[in-house]
Amino acid sequence: MDDDPVRFISIMDAAGVDRACINCIFHGDARRGNDVVTRFTSEHPDRFIGVGFVTPHYPEEAIGELERCFDVLGMRSLKVYPTYFERPIDDLAYMPIFEWCDSRGIVVMSHSSWVFDIDVLTLPTRFIALAKRFSNIRWVLAHSGNAPRGNVLAVEAAQACPNIYLETATSFADHGAIEFLVEGAGADRVVFGSDSPLLDSRTQIGRILTSTLPDDAKAKVLGLNAIRLLGLDSAGRG
Amino acid sequence: MGEVDLNFRPDVPVIDANIALGRRHNRRVKVDTLEGTLKAMAHVGVGRALAYSPHAATFDSRDGNDLLIETIAGDERILPQFVCNPSYDDMDAFASYVKEHGGRAVRMIPPLHRYPFVDWIVGDWLDWLTGEGLPLLLSIEEVDPVAIYSTLEKHPDLAVVLCEVKYSDATWALPLLRQLQNLHMEISRFVGSGGVDKLMTTVGDQRFLFGSRFPDSQMGAQLYNLHRCGLSTESLTAICAGNLERLLGLG
Repeated sequence: MDDDPVRFISIMDAAGVDRACINCIFHGDARRGNDVVTRFTSEHPDRFIGVGFVTPHYPEEAIGELERCFDVLGMRSLKVYPTYFERPIDDLAYMPIFEWCDSRGIVVMSHSSWVFDIDVLTLPTRFIALAKRFSNIRWVLAHSGNAPRGNVLAVEAAQACPNIYLETATSFADHGAIEFLVEGAGADRVVFGSDSPLLDSRTQIGRILTSTLPDDAKAKVLGLNAIRLLGLDSAGRG
Repeated sequence: MGEVDLNFRPDVPVIDANIALGRRHNRRVKVDTLEGTLKAMAHVGVGRALAYSPHAATFDSRDGNDLLIETIAGDERILPQFVCNPSYDDMDAFASYVKEHGGRAVRMIPPLHRYPFVDWIVGDWLDWLTGEGLPLLLSIEEVDPVAIYSTLEKHPDLAVVLCEVKYSDATWALPLLRQLQNLHMEISRFVGSGGVDKLMTTVGDQRFLFGSRFPDSQMGAQLYNLHRCGLSTESLTAICAGNLERLLGLG
Protein backbone atom coordinates (compact mmCIF):
# COMPACT_ATOMS: atom_id res chain seq x y z
CA MET A 1 0.00 0.00 0.00
CA ASP A 2 1.31 3.42 -1.00
CA ASP A 3 0.82 5.22 2.30
CA ASP A 4 3.64 7.73 2.38
CA PRO A 5 1.99 10.90 3.76
CA VAL A 6 4.41 13.18 1.91
CA ARG A 7 3.51 11.60 -1.41
CA PHE A 8 -0.14 11.65 -0.39
CA ILE A 9 0.05 15.39 0.25
CA SER A 10 1.94 16.09 -2.97
CA ILE A 11 -0.91 14.52 -4.97
CA MET A 12 -3.46 16.44 -2.90
CA ASP A 13 -1.58 19.64 -3.73
CA ALA A 14 -1.50 18.82 -7.43
CA ALA A 15 -5.21 18.05 -7.39
CA GLY A 16 -6.12 21.15 -5.39
CA VAL A 17 -7.32 19.28 -2.32
CA ASP A 18 -6.88 21.24 0.92
CA ARG A 19 -7.80 18.56 3.43
CA ALA A 20 -8.62 14.88 3.29
CA CYS A 21 -10.61 12.63 5.60
CA ILE A 22 -8.34 9.68 6.17
CA ASN A 23 -9.10 6.20 7.47
CA CYS A 24 -7.37 2.86 7.84
CA ILE A 25 -9.97 0.13 7.57
CA PHE A 26 -7.88 -2.89 6.72
CA HIS A 27 -6.81 -4.27 10.08
CA GLY A 28 -8.47 -7.11 11.94
CA ASP A 29 -7.50 -5.14 15.02
CA ALA A 30 -9.24 -1.79 14.59
CA ARG A 31 -7.02 -0.17 17.17
CA ARG A 32 -3.97 -0.62 14.96
CA GLY A 33 -5.70 1.04 12.01
CA ASN A 34 -6.87 3.97 14.11
CA ASP A 35 -3.34 4.45 15.42
CA VAL A 36 -2.08 4.69 11.84
CA VAL A 37 -4.66 7.38 11.16
CA THR A 38 -3.61 9.25 14.29
CA ARG A 39 0.00 9.21 13.13
CA PHE A 40 -1.07 10.92 9.90
CA THR A 41 -3.32 13.47 11.58
CA SER A 42 -0.85 14.34 14.32
CA GLU A 43 1.98 14.86 11.82
CA HIS A 44 -0.18 16.86 9.41
CA PRO A 45 -3.12 18.28 11.36
CA ASP A 46 -3.72 20.95 8.76
CA ARG A 47 -4.14 18.42 5.94
CA PHE A 48 -5.75 15.29 7.36
CA ILE A 49 -8.99 14.77 9.25
CA GLY A 50 -9.15 11.55 11.23
CA VAL A 51 -11.83 8.97 10.50
CA GLY A 52 -12.31 6.11 12.93
CA PHE A 53 -12.99 2.47 12.20
CA VAL A 54 -14.31 -0.53 14.13
CA THR A 55 -14.76 -4.15 13.08
CA PRO A 56 -18.01 -6.07 13.50
CA HIS A 57 -16.08 -9.24 14.30
CA TYR A 58 -15.01 -8.03 17.77
CA PRO A 59 -18.16 -6.45 19.23
CA GLU A 60 -16.71 -6.61 22.72
CA GLU A 61 -14.05 -4.11 21.64
CA ALA A 62 -16.17 -1.87 19.42
CA ILE A 63 -17.72 0.59 21.89
CA GLY A 64 -14.49 1.12 23.78
CA GLU A 65 -12.67 1.79 20.53
CA LEU A 66 -15.39 4.19 19.38
CA GLU A 67 -14.99 6.12 22.63
CA ARG A 68 -11.23 6.21 22.13
CA CYS A 69 -11.65 7.39 18.52
CA PHE A 70 -14.02 10.23 19.23
CA ASP A 71 -13.21 11.23 22.81
CA VAL A 72 -9.44 10.75 22.82
CA LEU A 73 -8.13 10.76 19.25
CA GLY A 74 -10.45 13.49 17.96
CA MET A 75 -11.84 11.57 14.99
CA ARG A 76 -14.59 13.39 13.05
CA SER A 77 -16.49 10.46 11.55
CA LEU A 78 -16.61 6.68 11.29
CA LYS A 79 -15.95 4.45 8.27
CA VAL A 80 -17.14 0.86 7.93
CA TYR A 81 -16.31 -1.51 5.11
CA PRO A 82 -18.79 -4.41 5.14
CA THR A 83 -17.56 -5.91 1.88
CA TYR A 84 -13.99 -6.37 3.09
CA PHE A 85 -15.17 -7.75 6.43
CA GLU A 86 -17.76 -9.97 4.71
CA ARG A 87 -20.75 -8.87 6.77
CA PRO A 88 -23.67 -6.95 5.21
CA ILE A 89 -24.19 -3.37 6.34
CA ASP A 90 -27.37 -4.35 8.18
CA ASP A 91 -25.81 -7.35 9.94
CA LEU A 92 -26.79 -7.56 13.60
CA ALA A 93 -23.15 -7.23 14.61
CA TYR A 94 -23.20 -3.62 13.44
CA MET A 95 -26.24 -2.61 15.47
CA PRO A 96 -24.51 -1.76 18.79
CA ILE A 97 -22.01 0.31 16.79
CA PHE A 98 -24.77 2.22 15.02
CA GLU A 99 -26.70 2.68 18.26
CA TRP A 100 -23.66 4.32 19.80
CA CYS A 101 -23.14 6.51 16.72
CA ASP A 102 -26.82 7.44 16.71
CA SER A 103 -26.59 8.57 20.33
CA ARG A 104 -23.71 10.87 19.40
CA GLY A 105 -25.00 12.06 16.00
CA ILE A 106 -21.91 10.70 14.26
CA VAL A 107 -21.28 10.82 10.51
CA VAL A 108 -20.91 7.23 9.28
CA MET A 109 -19.47 6.44 5.88
CA SER A 110 -19.82 2.98 4.41
CA HIS A 111 -18.70 1.42 1.17
CA SER A 112 -21.76 1.07 -1.09
CA SER A 113 -21.82 -0.86 -4.30
CA TRP A 114 -23.94 -2.67 -6.80
CA VAL A 115 -21.79 -3.70 -9.74
CA PHE A 116 -22.40 -7.42 -10.07
CA ASP A 117 -25.52 -9.34 -9.07
CA ILE A 118 -23.71 -10.97 -6.16
CA ASP A 119 -22.42 -7.61 -4.94
CA VAL A 120 -25.19 -7.03 -2.40
CA LEU A 121 -23.55 -6.61 1.01
CA THR A 122 -23.70 -2.84 0.64
CA LEU A 123 -26.55 -2.51 -1.82
CA PRO A 124 -27.46 1.19 -1.52
CA THR A 125 -31.10 0.51 -0.74
CA ARG A 126 -30.07 -1.55 2.31
CA PHE A 127 -29.21 1.79 3.92
CA ILE A 128 -32.79 3.05 3.83
CA ALA A 129 -34.03 1.08 6.82
CA LEU A 130 -30.84 1.84 8.72
CA ALA A 131 -31.08 5.56 8.04
CA LYS A 132 -34.67 5.59 9.27
CA ARG A 133 -33.89 3.55 12.37
CA PHE A 134 -30.72 5.50 13.22
CA SER A 135 -31.94 8.91 12.18
CA ASN A 136 -29.33 10.92 14.10
CA ILE A 137 -26.56 9.40 12.03
CA ARG A 138 -25.63 11.24 8.83
CA TRP A 139 -24.96 8.33 6.47
CA VAL A 140 -22.49 8.77 3.63
CA LEU A 141 -22.64 6.17 0.87
CA ALA A 142 -19.08 5.89 -0.41
CA HIS A 143 -18.96 5.43 -4.21
CA SER A 144 -22.72 6.06 -4.47
CA GLY A 145 -23.22 2.48 -5.54
CA ASN A 146 -20.23 2.50 -7.91
CA ALA A 147 -21.69 1.47 -11.29
CA PRO A 148 -24.67 3.13 -13.05
CA ARG A 149 -27.23 0.73 -11.65
CA GLY A 150 -25.75 1.25 -8.19
CA ASN A 151 -26.03 5.00 -8.72
CA VAL A 152 -29.75 4.60 -9.36
CA LEU A 153 -30.21 2.81 -6.03
CA ALA A 154 -28.03 5.34 -4.21
CA VAL A 155 -30.22 8.17 -5.44
CA GLU A 156 -33.29 6.17 -4.43
CA ALA A 157 -31.85 5.85 -0.92
CA ALA A 158 -31.00 9.55 -0.72
CA GLN A 159 -34.47 10.51 -1.86
CA ALA A 160 -36.00 8.25 0.79
CA CYS A 161 -33.85 9.56 3.65
CA PRO A 162 -32.73 13.16 4.22
CA ASN A 163 -29.83 11.91 6.36
CA ILE A 164 -28.20 10.00 3.48
CA TYR A 165 -25.38 11.66 1.54
CA LEU A 166 -23.63 10.41 -1.58
CA GLU A 167 -19.86 10.32 -2.11
CA THR A 168 -18.40 10.40 -5.61
CA ALA A 169 -15.21 8.29 -5.79
CA THR A 170 -15.22 5.36 -8.21
CA SER A 171 -13.11 3.83 -10.95
CA PHE A 172 -16.24 3.29 -13.06
CA ALA A 173 -16.93 7.00 -13.46
CA ASP A 174 -19.62 6.79 -16.11
CA HIS A 175 -20.30 9.85 -18.18
CA GLY A 176 -23.01 11.90 -16.54
CA ALA A 177 -22.78 10.12 -13.19
CA ILE A 178 -21.95 13.26 -11.21
CA GLU A 179 -24.81 15.17 -12.77
CA PHE A 180 -27.15 12.23 -12.10
CA LEU A 181 -26.23 12.12 -8.41
CA VAL A 182 -26.65 15.85 -7.93
CA GLU A 183 -29.92 15.94 -9.80
CA GLY A 184 -31.23 13.02 -7.78
CA ALA A 185 -29.95 13.80 -4.28
CA GLY A 186 -29.58 17.56 -4.55
CA ALA A 187 -26.40 19.62 -4.67
CA ASP A 188 -26.31 19.84 -0.86
CA ARG A 189 -26.02 16.08 -0.35
CA VAL A 190 -23.23 15.01 -2.70
CA VAL A 191 -19.64 15.09 -1.45
CA PHE A 192 -16.38 14.74 -3.37
CA GLY A 193 -14.13 11.86 -2.43
CA SER A 194 -11.06 10.40 -4.10
CA ASP A 195 -10.53 6.91 -2.62
CA SER A 196 -6.83 7.78 -2.43
CA PRO A 197 -4.35 6.21 -2.33
CA LEU A 198 -6.13 3.55 -4.37
CA LEU A 199 -7.36 6.07 -6.95
CA ASP A 200 -5.79 9.35 -8.02
CA SER A 201 -7.27 12.54 -6.55
CA ARG A 202 -6.54 14.41 -9.77
CA THR A 203 -8.74 12.17 -11.88
CA GLN A 204 -11.49 12.06 -9.29
CA ILE A 205 -11.59 15.83 -8.84
CA GLY A 206 -11.52 16.13 -12.62
CA ARG A 207 -14.85 14.33 -12.69
CA ILE A 208 -16.42 17.15 -10.68
CA LEU A 209 -14.61 19.97 -12.45
CA THR A 210 -15.35 18.77 -15.98
CA SER A 211 -18.95 17.92 -15.24
CA THR A 212 -21.74 20.18 -16.49
CA LEU A 213 -22.74 21.25 -12.96
CA PRO A 214 -23.00 25.01 -12.35
CA ASP A 215 -20.09 26.49 -10.40
CA ASP A 216 -22.05 26.89 -7.17
CA ALA A 217 -22.98 23.21 -7.21
CA LYS A 218 -19.36 22.24 -7.95
CA ALA A 219 -18.23 24.27 -4.93
CA LYS A 220 -20.72 22.50 -2.70
CA VAL A 221 -19.69 19.06 -3.88
CA LEU A 222 -15.98 19.84 -3.73
CA GLY A 223 -15.96 21.00 -0.15
CA LEU A 224 -18.76 23.13 1.24
CA ASN A 225 -20.99 20.13 1.91
CA ALA A 226 -18.22 18.24 3.72
CA ILE A 227 -17.43 21.31 5.82
CA ARG A 228 -21.05 21.49 6.89
CA LEU A 229 -21.42 17.75 7.39
CA LEU A 230 -18.30 17.42 9.55
CA GLY A 231 -18.83 20.63 11.45
CA LEU A 232 -15.59 22.23 10.29
CA ASP A 233 -14.99 25.96 10.14
CA SER A 234 -15.24 27.87 6.86
CA ALA A 235 -11.57 27.19 6.16
CA GLY A 236 -12.24 23.48 6.51
CA ARG A 237 -10.57 23.15 9.93
CA GLY A 238 -11.95 21.27 12.85
CA MET B 1 -11.14 26.25 -1.51
CA GLY B 2 -8.08 24.58 -3.00
CA GLU B 3 -6.54 25.64 -6.25
CA VAL B 4 -8.88 24.08 -8.78
CA ASP B 5 -10.15 25.16 -12.15
CA LEU B 6 -13.93 25.14 -12.16
CA ASN B 7 -14.01 25.78 -15.90
CA PHE B 8 -11.13 23.66 -17.10
CA ARG B 9 -9.94 23.80 -20.71
CA PRO B 10 -6.96 21.83 -22.02
CA ASP B 11 -3.69 23.61 -22.79
CA VAL B 12 -2.94 21.54 -25.89
CA PRO B 13 -4.84 20.00 -28.82
CA VAL B 14 -6.56 16.79 -27.77
CA ILE B 15 -7.60 13.62 -29.58
CA ASP B 16 -9.50 11.08 -27.51
CA ALA B 17 -8.08 7.66 -28.39
CA ASN B 18 -10.99 5.61 -27.16
CA ILE B 19 -14.67 6.38 -27.50
CA ALA B 20 -17.67 4.29 -28.52
CA LEU B 21 -20.36 5.80 -30.73
CA GLY B 22 -23.85 4.40 -31.06
CA ARG B 23 -26.60 2.59 -29.27
CA ARG B 24 -26.16 -0.54 -27.14
CA HIS B 25 -28.37 -3.58 -27.11
CA ASN B 26 -28.33 -4.04 -23.34
CA ARG B 27 -28.73 -0.56 -21.90
CA ARG B 28 -29.29 3.04 -22.84
CA VAL B 29 -26.11 5.05 -22.40
CA LYS B 30 -26.35 8.77 -21.70
CA VAL B 31 -24.85 9.75 -25.06
CA ASP B 32 -25.39 7.57 -28.13
CA THR B 33 -25.49 10.06 -31.01
CA LEU B 34 -22.97 11.99 -33.06
CA GLU B 35 -24.47 15.28 -31.93
CA GLY B 36 -24.25 14.36 -28.24
CA THR B 37 -20.71 13.09 -28.63
CA LEU B 38 -19.56 16.28 -30.34
CA LYS B 39 -21.23 18.34 -27.62
CA ALA B 40 -19.40 16.41 -24.91
CA MET B 41 -16.13 16.81 -26.79
CA ALA B 42 -16.65 20.55 -27.08
CA HIS B 43 -17.48 20.81 -23.37
CA VAL B 44 -14.05 19.54 -22.31
CA GLY B 45 -12.01 20.72 -25.29
CA VAL B 46 -11.48 17.48 -27.18
CA GLY B 47 -10.99 18.30 -30.86
CA ARG B 48 -11.15 14.82 -32.37
CA ALA B 49 -11.86 11.30 -31.21
CA LEU B 50 -11.12 7.79 -32.43
CA ALA B 51 -14.42 5.93 -32.30
CA TYR B 52 -15.64 2.39 -32.70
CA SER B 53 -19.14 1.01 -32.91
CA PRO B 54 -20.43 -0.94 -29.90
CA HIS B 55 -22.77 -2.73 -32.30
CA ALA B 56 -19.67 -3.98 -34.13
CA ALA B 57 -18.33 -5.26 -30.84
CA THR B 58 -21.41 -7.04 -29.59
CA PHE B 59 -23.30 -8.14 -32.71
CA ASP B 60 -21.55 -8.14 -36.07
CA SER B 61 -18.36 -6.37 -37.04
CA ARG B 62 -19.36 -5.54 -40.62
CA ASP B 63 -22.83 -4.42 -39.62
CA GLY B 64 -21.46 -2.25 -36.83
CA ASN B 65 -18.66 -0.78 -38.90
CA ASP B 66 -21.20 0.19 -41.57
CA LEU B 67 -23.33 1.80 -38.89
CA LEU B 68 -20.32 3.77 -37.63
CA ILE B 69 -19.61 5.17 -41.09
CA GLU B 70 -23.28 6.08 -41.47
CA THR B 71 -23.35 7.74 -38.05
CA ILE B 72 -20.18 9.75 -38.53
CA ALA B 73 -21.51 10.98 -41.89
CA GLY B 74 -18.15 12.35 -42.94
CA ASP B 75 -17.60 14.50 -39.85
CA GLU B 76 -13.82 14.79 -39.64
CA ARG B 77 -13.83 15.23 -35.87
CA ILE B 78 -14.61 11.54 -35.50
CA LEU B 79 -11.96 9.15 -36.75
CA PRO B 80 -13.36 5.69 -37.51
CA GLN B 81 -11.85 2.64 -35.92
CA PHE B 82 -13.02 -0.66 -37.38
CA VAL B 83 -13.72 -3.70 -35.24
CA CYS B 84 -12.66 -7.07 -36.60
CA ASN B 85 -13.41 -10.58 -35.44
CA PRO B 86 -10.56 -12.84 -36.59
CA SER B 87 -12.46 -15.94 -35.57
CA TYR B 88 -15.27 -15.15 -37.99
CA ASP B 89 -14.47 -12.37 -40.48
CA ASP B 90 -12.84 -12.92 -43.87
CA MET B 91 -9.54 -11.10 -43.64
CA ASP B 92 -9.27 -10.16 -47.32
CA ALA B 93 -12.79 -8.73 -47.33
CA PHE B 94 -12.08 -6.82 -44.14
CA ALA B 95 -8.82 -5.47 -45.57
CA SER B 96 -10.65 -4.22 -48.66
CA TYR B 97 -13.29 -2.62 -46.45
CA VAL B 98 -10.71 -0.78 -44.36
CA LYS B 99 -8.96 0.47 -47.49
CA GLU B 100 -12.21 1.55 -49.11
CA HIS B 101 -13.25 3.58 -46.08
CA GLY B 102 -9.84 5.00 -45.23
CA GLY B 103 -9.64 3.23 -41.87
CA ARG B 104 -6.60 4.07 -39.80
CA ALA B 105 -6.99 1.71 -36.86
CA VAL B 106 -8.44 -1.72 -36.07
CA ARG B 107 -9.84 -3.01 -32.81
CA MET B 108 -9.92 -6.55 -31.48
CA ILE B 109 -12.07 -7.67 -28.54
CA PRO B 110 -11.06 -11.31 -27.98
CA PRO B 111 -13.17 -12.37 -24.97
CA LEU B 112 -16.34 -10.79 -26.30
CA HIS B 113 -15.80 -12.58 -29.61
CA ARG B 114 -14.88 -15.78 -27.77
CA TYR B 115 -11.38 -16.47 -29.04
CA PRO B 116 -8.06 -16.53 -27.21
CA PHE B 117 -5.51 -13.92 -28.23
CA VAL B 118 -3.04 -16.42 -29.65
CA ASP B 119 -0.90 -16.34 -32.75
CA TRP B 120 -2.56 -19.34 -34.36
CA ILE B 121 -5.80 -17.36 -34.51
CA VAL B 122 -4.74 -13.72 -34.89
CA GLY B 123 -1.26 -14.11 -36.39
CA ASP B 124 -2.26 -13.59 -40.02
CA TRP B 125 -4.27 -10.55 -39.04
CA LEU B 126 -1.36 -9.06 -37.14
CA ASP B 127 0.91 -9.63 -40.15
CA TRP B 128 -1.59 -7.81 -42.34
CA LEU B 129 -1.84 -4.89 -39.91
CA THR B 130 1.94 -4.67 -39.74
CA GLY B 131 2.21 -4.61 -43.52
CA GLU B 132 -0.40 -1.85 -43.80
CA GLY B 133 1.08 0.18 -40.95
CA LEU B 134 -2.22 0.12 -39.08
CA PRO B 135 -2.24 0.11 -35.29
CA LEU B 136 -4.16 -2.49 -33.34
CA LEU B 137 -6.27 -1.33 -30.42
CA LEU B 138 -6.75 -4.27 -28.11
CA SER B 139 -9.52 -4.34 -25.51
CA ILE B 140 -7.77 -6.16 -22.71
CA GLU B 141 -10.71 -6.88 -20.40
CA GLU B 142 -10.30 -10.55 -19.43
CA VAL B 143 -7.47 -11.14 -21.93
CA ASP B 144 -4.68 -13.32 -20.56
CA PRO B 145 -1.54 -11.15 -20.23
CA VAL B 146 0.59 -14.22 -20.97
CA ALA B 147 -1.18 -14.56 -24.31
CA ILE B 148 -0.68 -10.86 -25.05
CA TYR B 149 3.04 -11.20 -24.44
CA SER B 150 3.61 -14.46 -26.29
CA THR B 151 1.59 -13.30 -29.29
CA LEU B 152 2.87 -9.77 -29.63
CA GLU B 153 6.52 -10.67 -29.18
CA LYS B 154 6.20 -12.41 -32.54
CA HIS B 155 5.08 -9.14 -34.17
CA PRO B 156 7.59 -6.56 -32.99
CA ASP B 157 6.86 -4.09 -35.79
CA LEU B 158 3.15 -3.88 -35.12
CA ALA B 159 2.01 -0.86 -33.10
CA VAL B 160 -0.43 -2.02 -30.43
CA VAL B 161 -2.47 0.02 -27.97
CA LEU B 162 -3.79 -1.72 -24.88
CA CYS B 163 -7.20 -0.23 -24.15
CA GLU B 164 -9.13 -0.05 -20.88
CA VAL B 165 -6.19 -1.12 -18.73
CA LYS B 166 -7.51 -0.79 -15.19
CA TYR B 167 -5.54 0.58 -12.27
CA SER B 168 -5.58 -2.91 -10.79
CA ASP B 169 -3.92 -4.26 -13.96
CA ALA B 170 -0.76 -2.29 -13.20
CA THR B 171 0.75 -5.45 -11.70
CA TRP B 172 1.22 -6.94 -15.17
CA ALA B 173 0.62 -4.04 -17.57
CA LEU B 174 3.67 -2.01 -16.55
CA PRO B 175 6.08 -4.99 -16.79
CA LEU B 176 4.53 -5.83 -20.16
CA LEU B 177 5.14 -2.30 -21.42
CA ARG B 178 8.76 -2.64 -20.36
CA GLN B 179 9.13 -5.92 -22.25
CA LEU B 180 7.48 -5.01 -25.55
CA GLN B 181 8.68 -1.82 -27.17
CA ASN B 182 5.85 -1.79 -29.72
CA LEU B 183 3.26 -1.65 -26.97
CA HIS B 184 1.32 1.47 -25.98
CA MET B 185 -1.36 2.08 -23.41
CA GLU B 186 -4.60 4.07 -23.40
CA ILE B 187 -5.30 5.44 -19.91
CA SER B 188 -9.07 5.80 -19.55
CA ARG B 189 -9.27 3.28 -16.71
CA PHE B 190 -5.74 3.67 -15.40
CA VAL B 191 -6.94 5.90 -12.58
CA GLY B 192 -4.88 4.56 -9.70
CA SER B 193 -2.99 6.99 -7.53
CA GLY B 194 0.09 8.25 -9.36
CA GLY B 195 -0.73 6.17 -12.46
CA VAL B 196 0.49 8.77 -14.93
CA ASP B 197 3.66 9.32 -12.92
CA LYS B 198 4.35 5.57 -13.03
CA LEU B 199 3.85 5.48 -16.79
CA MET B 200 6.24 8.38 -17.27
CA THR B 201 8.83 6.54 -15.22
CA THR B 202 8.21 3.21 -16.94
CA VAL B 203 7.98 4.15 -20.63
CA GLY B 204 8.20 7.92 -20.95
CA ASP B 205 5.78 10.19 -22.77
CA GLN B 206 5.75 8.47 -26.18
CA ARG B 207 3.93 5.26 -25.34
CA PHE B 208 0.75 6.15 -23.56
CA LEU B 209 -2.29 7.99 -24.84
CA PHE B 210 -5.18 9.97 -23.51
CA GLY B 211 -8.44 8.10 -23.98
CA SER B 212 -11.69 8.38 -22.08
CA ARG B 213 -13.79 5.27 -22.82
CA PHE B 214 -16.64 7.72 -23.37
CA PRO B 215 -19.58 7.38 -22.81
CA ASP B 216 -18.88 4.59 -20.33
CA SER B 217 -16.54 7.00 -18.57
CA GLN B 218 -16.54 10.76 -18.30
CA MET B 219 -14.51 12.40 -21.05
CA GLY B 220 -12.74 15.09 -19.06
CA ALA B 221 -11.56 13.37 -15.87
CA GLN B 222 -8.26 11.90 -17.07
CA LEU B 223 -7.66 14.95 -19.23
CA TYR B 224 -7.78 17.07 -16.09
CA ASN B 225 -5.49 14.63 -14.32
CA LEU B 226 -2.91 14.91 -17.13
CA HIS B 227 -2.88 18.68 -16.66
CA ARG B 228 -2.11 18.25 -12.95
CA CYS B 229 0.82 15.86 -13.25
CA GLY B 230 3.56 18.43 -13.78
CA LEU B 231 4.12 17.35 -17.39
CA SER B 232 6.01 19.56 -19.81
CA THR B 233 4.03 21.01 -22.71
CA GLU B 234 5.89 18.64 -25.02
CA SER B 235 4.89 15.60 -22.98
CA LEU B 236 1.32 16.78 -22.59
CA THR B 237 1.06 17.37 -26.34
CA ALA B 238 2.39 13.90 -27.07
CA ILE B 239 0.06 12.13 -24.65
CA CYS B 240 -3.04 14.14 -25.54
CA ALA B 241 -2.69 13.93 -29.32
CA GLY B 242 0.79 13.52 -30.79
CA ASN B 243 1.28 9.86 -30.02
CA LEU B 244 -2.05 8.89 -31.52
CA GLU B 245 -1.44 11.08 -34.57
CA ARG B 246 1.84 9.26 -35.10
CA LEU B 247 0.24 5.83 -34.75
CA LEU B 248 -2.60 6.75 -37.10
CA GLY B 249 -0.26 8.33 -39.64
CA LEU B 250 -1.94 11.69 -39.41
CA GLY B 251 0.02 14.71 -40.57
